[in-house]
Amino acid sequence: MKRFLGIFVATLLSAIPLAAQAEVNIFACEPEWAALAEEIGGNKVETFSATHANQDPHYIRARPSLIAKMRKANVLLCSGAGLEAGWLPLLLQKAGGEVQPGAVGHLMATDVVPVLEKPVTIDRSQGDVHPQGNPHVHLNPHNVLLVAKELTTRLGKIDAGNAYFYISRYQDFFARWQKAITNWEAKAFALKGKPVVVHHKSFVYLLDWLGIQEVAALEPKPGISPTTSHLESLLRQMKNKPASLVLRTPYDPDDASQWLSKKTGIPVVVLPYTVGGDARSGNLFSLFGRTISLMTGIYDDQH
Amino acid sequence: MLKTKLAASAALVTCLFSTSALAASDVEALRAEIQEMKQAYEGRIADLEAALAKVEETQKKIKQPVSATPATAQRTIFDNSFNPSIGVILSGKYSSFSSDDSEIAGFGIGEEGERGREGLALDESELNFTASVDDKFFGHITAAIVREGGEDKVELEESYFQTLAGFGLPDGLSIKAGRAFWTLGYLNEHHSHYGDFTDRPLPYRAFLNKSFNDDGVEASYVLPTDIYAEVGGGVFRGDDFPFGGGDGEGIGAWSAFARIGDDIGDNQSWRLGGYVLSGKAKGGRSSNEDAVSFIGDSDLYVADLRYTWAPTGSAREREVIFQGEYFWRNENGIYEDTNVATGAVNFDDSSSGWYAQTVYKFDPQWRVGARYSQLKAPNVPVGLAGSALDSFGHDPKSYAAMLDWTNSEFSRVRLQYNREELAQGQDDNQVVLQYIMSIGAHGAHKY
Repeated sequence: MKRFLGIFVATLLSAIPLAAQAEVNIFACEPEWAALAEEIGGNKVETFSATHANQDPHYIRARPSLIAKMRKANVLLCSGAGLEAGWLPLLLQKAGGEVQPGAVGHLMATDVVPVLEKPVTIDRSQGDVHPQGNPHVHLNPHNVLLVAKELTTRLGKIDAGNAYFYISRYQDFFARWQKAITNWEAKAFALKGKPVVVHHKSFVYLLDWLGIQEVAALEPKPGISPTTSHLESLLRQMKNKPASLVLRTPYDPDDASQWLSKKTGIPVVVLPYTVGGDARSGNLFSLFGRTISLMTGIYDDQH
Repeated sequence: MLKTKLAASAALVTCLFSTSALAASDVEALRAEIQEMKQAYEGRIADLEAALAKVEETQKKIKQPVSATPATAQRTIFDNSFNPSIGVILSGKYSSFSSDDSEIAGFGIGEEGERGREGLALDESELNFTASVDDKFFGHITAAIVREGGEDKVELEESYFQTLAGFGLPDGLSIKAGRAFWTLGYLNEHHSHYGDFTDRPLPYRAFLNKSFNDDGVEASYVLPTDIYAEVGGGVFRGDDFPFGGGDGEGIGAWSAFARIGDDIGDNQSWRLGGYVLSGKAKGGRSSNEDAVSFIGDSDLYVADLRYTWAPTGSAREREVIFQGEYFWRNENGIYEDTNVATGAVNFDDSSSGWYAQTVYKFDPQWRVGARYSQLKAPNVPVGLAGSALDSFGHDPKSYAAMLDWTNSEFSRVRLQYNREELAQGQDDNQVVLQYIMSIGAHGAHKY
């Protein structure tokens, strides 16, 4: 038993020298925010994403590795509005003061962008509703810009020596992003007013931005898996008034959308949802470019 | 009104006359057109109705609070937002056992380590209150209402505060004081409703009387390393099983632990831990319905491993969880079994136990699991021959298989089959159906 403990302590001690000091450690809850942090922070920051594109950020575990990463973070960048409520509080309990709520290093996207779908009344019989509104804010590129701006300000405060570096990165990003938005909006113009079915309410901001109409969700209530009776009623609805597309994220199970598509002939489009969501969505620009290509069926550029 | 009616019937009549003059194919086309128009109109009407319903709903919601309170009496109530978050766990079981007895051979078993009640029975109903006290402290209390000895009793399972980052301790260091499920092995920190099976594995029942939640203080420190590494330790009153009768003089018991963990690639993670819990059962640890008592030193060593794997990347869809713990206990003191009037017998020996379990989520709502647990009873001294501590050479073992259905994060129903061979010739086949519901705020679960 003593020998066992000895090995244990030795392992712990050997792990300590690995703790090299990076300049600014950014802990992003989702890949899109990690990508944004890289856009603004460049080589002055070390970014880490707690989730990858195939994971539903609602439902990950407070893994040991996340505790270690959060412990060393100077900036926490997440969607907020309860999206990470299942695991983030545990990580914060073991984290330093820099990233605690209220600190400069604690940035929740939903605190700086207009949030949609704030429920008037809340009850769990309505499913996994977020009292603070729909947290999937990043799929409106205007929101991304708002978060980028706030992140630039925060980084400037935390790492004052590089404040101008961050500002110039932001200005560069701003110019490229604005140009890209104009492009995307022009390309997606034909989608305006089109009815679509979604799996979960993950695309509210994207649809709101492009003026697309969400007519139904495969989940009877947010977070509740599709049921046969709900799908049957959707089928009737679709036969009456067909939607143009069925949208889902890479991490939503595919059976319900496949079933509906097979019965109605409405095509299913798996949108990348976040950076890394498919092979062609490696950064924020290609994420949006790819999303719009997939929805319009026009693949006219490198995205 | 009359005029429009007349006009409409006139139109209808003309319509009828003219249609009769048309060719059959034209009739078909017209029919289709009318059908189309009808559908379009119905659709539009449905849309309008939906829109109207929405407006009415929001109006209702806006109106309600206003009409409930006269304008002069309007005030904002802030008190509520400072209330702690409240969570309640509702849990119950139906159990059927094939054996009347469920003695665990060779061990003194506390009340909560015993087999549950047969038939329909409520499990622990748990009340949780949690909130940040202020910028420096976080507070939590768990009260469980349990049925014991034919009475509903309130058991204070946890009542502690914990320092927050605002307290100003070095980063990574935290202190917890009060009563809590202390850091010891994997399951001890978790409430019973969190378990993957309806009951605790044998080592927990035998060595910890289900769980260790003495009164005490614990400090933990997360090291600033790339992989997760945490060390810590605590001091306790020495009142809770495996100790007992702590008189508050000096330190009744102490603990130390170290844990490491990390990810393997994107979809696998693990944690490994080693723990010591050492102390004195000063006033006596009583078990087997107060028949068996132990006074003396008890040292417990625990090692745990947990490994999770999400084959598709999304743990919500599919997941494999492996978990195992090993317990080793050394006792040096005096045992007595009043049932067989052994008198005080000197005892200095060790016992051990372990369990391993695997749970597989094969569908977002369905999981299956299997568990094996086993104990190794100590060699019994001559003076204790024939007592509850005499295992008659039998090492208790238990097999479990379960299937559970999770409707949402907040409700779960589980069916479990157990085969317990806890004493010589006492094979027990058990079937348990359990529900676990959570209402109100429900805190995040640890890894």
